[in-house]
Amino acid sequence: MHPLVRDLYKRIIIVGKDYPAGLEHVRRKAKEAFMKNKDLTDEVEIKRAVARGRWYVRNELTAVIQLKKYRTIKDRYY
Amino acid sequence: WPSLLFDLYPPPPQAKRMRALVAVKRVVDYAVKIRVKGDKSGVETAGVKMSMNPFCEIAVEEAVRLKEKKVVEEIVAVSIGPKQSADTLRTALAMGADRAVHINHDGILQPLAVAKLLKAVVDKESPDVVFVGKQAIDDDANQTGQMLAGLLGWPQGTFCSKLEIADKKATVEREVDGGIETVSMGLPAVITADLRLNDPRYATLPNIMKAKK
Repeated sequence: MHPLVRDLYKRIIIVGKDYPAGLEHVRRKAKEAFMKNKDLTDEVEIKRAVARGRWYVRNELTAVIQLKKYRTIKDRYY
Repeated sequence: WPSLLFDLYPPPPQAKRMRALVAVKRVVDYAVKIRVKGDKSGVETAGVKMSMNPFCEIAVEEAVRLKEKKVVEEIVAVSIGPKQSADTLRTALAMGADRAVHINHDGILQPLAVAKLLKAVVDKESPDVVFVGKQAIDDDANQTGQMLAGLLGWPQGTFCSKLEIADKKATVEREVDGGIETVSMGLPAVITADLRLNDPRYATLPNIMKAKK
């Protein structure tokens, strides 16, 4: 496995632990997305896909986590 | 001509080393469904997910933002708890704190004891501003910040929803029942963070790895 891909998967798992829908959901979705791209061999293509994955972790996953946290704390503590 | 050169390029003003102390607490994660222990002696905390108190995250984020604005030079994070509190301190380091102090203690701690321990840390580190969260989501005491300010004899800005620090004075907008109250106080002071103070960053992976070292 490409080391960048493994690093991306580790990032997804670490951030997925805080995901509201649960780690299993994140792991399943991540596996589907990784399996769709498993036949990439060109270095540039792999890097592009990894960059997209990293953007997703950094922006989408963390945004959902932060939003859910803010909303629950706001509901509990005004 | 050497004195002319000095006037053209004056040395930068000596910035006083402002130090911020942030106290964080390891609590049961906000998303965990709380269950009572079988013998009804307390809340089940063994094996449940623990993380940093959300209000403490907001306090750390405020200290880091002040550091980015170059108002504060050094951030020290402190936590009192069992040895797993070191993970909470690692999160604080990943968010931007410079040093971390871990006071190891197993068992229940009441806010007054925490305030006395924090006072000892403050006496040792002599920070200019102390950030704490307004309350912890496990005991909801809302006492530690206020007690610490009382023990130290420092002014306190509690339920802070906006903070400005400029030349040895802090202007705090507090969220009170009637709306927003603006208070100004001299430093050193204790600031208690409320929900709308800022939006805390999620500690990114490289920072967590770096903080592990």
